[in-house]
Amino acid sequence: MRKTLYIILSALTFAVTLSAQAQDERQRKPETVVQDVLAQMPAQKAEDFNREMQYLAQGAPQTITLLVGMLQPTEKAQNNLVEYAISGVTNFACANLQYKSAVLDGFRTSVTSAPDETTRQLIQTQIRMLSAVEPNVFTTHEGAAPYAAHYDALKGTYGDCTKLLLKSLKSKDRAYRVQALQYANQEVDEELILRVAKKFKGLSDDAKTDVLYWLGDNHADSQSALILNEVKKGGPTAKAAIEAAGKIGGEQAADALIAALGTENSDAAKAALLAYKGSLNAKVPAALQNATGEKQKALLSIASQRAIHEAAPQLLALAATSADAVKALPGVVTEKDTKAVAALLEKADAAQVPTLQKALAASVQAKPAKEQYQVLASLMKAAQRPERIYKPLAETATNEAIADMVQTYGSATATDAQRAEALGALKATKNFTAAPLLLEVAKKGDEAALASYVALVKANERNIDRRCGKLEEALQVAKTADTKKAIIAALAGAPTQKAFSVVGRYLDDKDVSYAAAQAEKEIAGKCVDEINYDEMKANLAKASDIYKAHGTADDGYAVDEIKKMLSEAQPSPIYQLTPEEKKEGFELLFDGTNLDKWEGNKGGYTVQNGTIYVSAGYGNGGNLYTKKEYRDFIYRFEFCFVRHGVNNGVGIRTPEGVDAAYYGMCESQILDHDDPIYSGLHKYQVHGSVYGVIPAKRIKHKPLGEWNTEEIRVKGDHITVIVNGETIVDGNIREACQGHNVAPDGSDYNPYTVDHRNHPGMFNKTGHIGFLGHGAGIKFRNVRVKELK
Amino acid sequence: MKRRSFLKRGAAGAALFTIVPRETLGKMGGNNSFVAPSDQLTRGIIGVGGIGRSSLHFTSDSACRLVALCDVDQKHLDSAVAAAKSKFGQTVTTYHDFRELIHDPNVDIVHIATPPHWHGIMAVEAANAGKDIFCEKPMTRTIGEGRRVEEAVKRNARIFRLDTWFRFKDTFYGLGTDVKPLKKLVDSGLLGWPLKVRISGATGFTWKFYWVGKENLEVQPVPKELDYDLWLGPAPFKPYNVHRTHQTFRGYWDYDGGGLADMGQHYIDPVQYILGKDDTFPVKVEVDAPQQHPDAVSIWRQITYTYEDGCQIILEGEGFESKGKVPYIEGPNGKVYKGFECTIPNVQQLINEMPEPEQRNTDFLECVRTRRPFALNESNGHHSATIVNMGVCALRLGRTLHFDPKTQLFVGDEEANHLVNQPMRGEWGKYI
Repeated sequence: MRKTLYIILSALTFAVTLSAQAQDERQRKPETVVQDVLAQMPAQKAEDFNREMQYLAQGAPQTITLLVGMLQPTEKAQNNLVEYAISGVTNFACANLQYKSAVLDGFRTSVTSAPDETTRQLIQTQIRMLSAVEPNVFTTHEGAAPYAAHYDALKGTYGDCTKLLLKSLKSKDRAYRVQALQYANQEVDEELILRVAKKFKGLSDDAKTDVLYWLGDNHADSQSALILNEVKKGGPTAKAAIEAAGKIGGEQAADALIAALGTENSDAAKAALLAYKGSLNAKVPAALQNATGEKQKALLSIASQRAIHEAAPQLLALAATSADAVKALPGVVTEKDTKAVAALLEKADAAQVPTLQKALAASVQAKPAKEQYQVLASLMKAAQRPERIYKPLAETATNEAIADMVQTYGSATATDAQRAEALGALKATKNFTAAPLLLEVAKKGDEAALASYVALVKANERNIDRRCGKLEEALQVAKTADTKKAIIAALAGAPTQKAFSVVGRYLDDKDVSYAAAQAEKEIAGKCVDEINYDEMKANLAKASDIYKAHGTADDGYAVDEIKKMLSEAQPSPIYQLTPEEKKEGFELLFDGTNLDKWEGNKGGYTVQNGTIYVSAGYGNGGNLYTKKEYRDFIYRFEFCFVRHGVNNGVGIRTPEGVDAAYYGMCESQILDHDDPIYSGLHKYQVHGSVYGVIPAKRIKHKPLGEWNTEEIRVKGDHITVIVNGETIVDGNIREACQGHNVAPDGSDYNPYTVDHRNHPGMFNKTGHIGFLGHGAGIKFRNVRVKELK
Repeated sequence: MKRRSFLKRGAAGAALFTIVPRETLGKMGGNNSFVAPSDQLTRGIIGVGGIGRSSLHFTSDSACRLVALCDVDQKHLDSAVAAAKSKFGQTVTTYHDFRELIHDPNVDIVHIATPPHWHGIMAVEAANAGKDIFCEKPMTRTIGEGRRVEEAVKRNARIFRLDTWFRFKDTFYGLGTDVKPLKKLVDSGLLGWPLKVRISGATGFTWKFYWVGKENLEVQPVPKELDYDLWLGPAPFKPYNVHRTHQTFRGYWDYDGGGLADMGQHYIDPVQYILGKDDTFPVKVEVDAPQQHPDAVSIWRQITYTYEDGCQIILEGEGFESKGKVPYIEGPNGKVYKGFECTIPNVQQLINEMPEPEQRNTDFLECVRTRRPFALNESNGHHSATIVNMGVCALRLGRTLHFDPKTQLFVGDEEANHLVNQPMRGEWGKYI
């Protein structure tokens, strides 16, 4: 019989009906049948195979019992032929059901004679396959029943499972052994460990392995000798012993583990040493002295991952010849080694430069940033190839370093290599001062520079509107889809009305539409600013379609979220005067639909959802004024803070384009004075105040997002301010400064005004009414005025 | 080299017998370059409408072959079968009744990917049937089921793992670091003790408040592809409305627990590991939330868990996050923030010098072969699921609850204990 196997094609068809000739015409005894069949294995042709299997099936259950009896323990011999025969007859019986029950019987009665776990499983599989030939038959919990009984027996030992545990360790079934060991964990003590250890010698290798893992899990340091012995022996139990050694710790364990490095269980030993709870700072350098090959490699890696600084001198010495030593340097070097690393960096091959740069940076990182800069800068001065130090220099993230790099990049005397290195260093730094140059370079087509720029903006530009503006600018420069997607995602982190519009433009760009949809949804959800209702509806509908087309389960949730957002959004109301106001002769200056009666900064003041919405347009400035001028009047409007710390104001009897607080009659302050940033306010700065002239009664503002009513009444020199029905200013500006709106001596110091400044426009007879300020976070509505004759 | 069983049936019904040369199968013993068919493990998935069908789990390879699928929605099942054919050329056996999949002798590992109200029953049934288990989170919908799953897995010597993994790999959501350095830092004692951990939008974790249920659901006809009775299983019978099922079941207490239960184990299990509390439970849970509807899950503001030794885990709802710079872990001697920013000077250097956390078994198929417990198993998984479920109980009752770690029951609150062991509809109660 040949030991190697032949190919038998899978084109075996078992539905073949064999002729009566195939019956055992020689009336052989089961033993003979089996021998003959095995002699034919492996069959060359399908019909030969079928015929042999049929012989076996006909002779069942005896032939089956015989076959099973021929199985050897798996470790001793290969049971190939017998296994093929067993599998073959099972499959034959599954397809020719008249033989099924006899074959099944044969397996059932002989399963206990299987010599080991593997062969027992083999027979169990045959039994299962034969039993399950009829579908939809729930087998009872046969597979696991023995374990359940075992577990119940363990429980039944009532807190002293030692005897049963020791018995279970003798089982050939790993699951039994591990079940008993796991169970014992809840009552393990030194005595139990000792008793298990005593039985250790007599166990199979597999059982020893299970016990070793268990000793490790239980940190059984009393068994250190036993465990380390297994480590030293090597062989099938060594791996488990190594893990256990790492867990119990101790000097001798560390020594044994180090000795196991470089052997066939090197990886396990390394993992154990990395988790070893103790110092390796002396052992690893000592072992490195004579280590070579795999062992050296492992030790170098451990030195690096455990930051064993004591090994630095050795690694530096090895660096010249060993790439692994170079790789490990960043983990071990300290400031003592900076010069040596710089020397290596000077001479190294290009391939090793990045790692050595890392090492150089690592060696100085314990110092304050400025000192790091000084050390590296002085090294640079002495270096033959200073450009190799640029990256570590920029990593210090000091302004000085960045300034140096910017200068080098722009220097006419720098070499191309130096310029390239300087740019590379700038692209990797965390210092924000590198941003302007990076943007410049990006505009010339360097996409990587743009990516670095965007990362810096994301991390450093805290003002949401400025961040949004910078990202928008970057988006226009971006060339590749990936960069665009990254910027769009970053815009989702700056959820302003502007961001919503900007991202919305990319919903139609096929390459980035999914990213745009995701960002748009997030902005819509998080934005406190007013987003135009029609724009929101349109863009979110597009986003929803994009999600639907993408079609994953998560996208379905996003579509639901958008539906919810849209259902909660309100279209813009149109304001009308109340009947009383109509009768009294009020005029609507803003009804929610247009700013026709206004002029000035219509970029920063826009109509959104029925409000005059103030956006901090990047680069916008200036105020909004009524087209008409007014003398005496009652001015009514509503305002709403959507962000903290808003600063605005109402300009009264003011020319356009000047500071109304001084060159108009006055400014009535609009301020979120409760915000912590205004903790040091003057009395004349609180909301409602005639700025610098008449302090208002300080009110407690409503929460963000709620609307407030305000009325300002001006007649001659008299001014009244009413907020939410409460009068907070009721005074005479002329009296407030005793008639001196400017200093009588012509100086800048006016002793008569509360802010001690000159208010030249205070006695203007007429002027525009204005909204003053261009910080975002406030909206106005329902603005109307009645002229007093 | 052990072989678990010799040759498996290749396709449903016909018992194809295939022998290929040794060289193709791979060598027996010694270095195995291929996985022999007899060494291949096989898997069946119950629930292919959502996560079960995601690219993360809908896989089949030489290490573990996908051989069976089960779903009570015929459309989901058909789509998954077609996908198996087109993606990996695999013909799978299909089942309507999960019990048949579990008892299919061709299936070694059962992947439970149904809504949580089924997890307990299926896990216990699979354990009793001698199968190893891969279970979606949350491990169980109730604390009592979790206990019984743990017991069944141990009793039948099964390998069990949960489908969350942040305690041993990957960047931990928006925290900007993975768990390992946090574990090292806490183990070092540098932060002091006890510790407070804040799981909040401010520290990088969102609680998915869109998982809310709708009240007053209108009755809708059951689609003909869905076996609604079997979908409900042990859950109380309530008339069908599409929002109860499929993509939005998380909004209903009967099947799940909103964002808290969806993300809870992902976020909280690593914290349990970091704090070294795999073998205990919090003793108190407090909630700040609006009154919850008995059927539809709503939002909450804050949930605080307190351990016996004073450690706390604080969950902050979306929109109710602490302002300003919020520490993720806070101790008497130090704080650590997002991005592993830490008040302890030179902390990165100190951590580099510390040993790695103790080794764990993170290869599930290897655990199936060696019978060693997986790193996140029926025991520590039950403990972290219980933290989630304690919060669910406290939310539903709207009051502070005290928990006894030894009995795993609430103290002095019988109404709460009725949520620990909830009745099951029909015959399903006898399965767990």
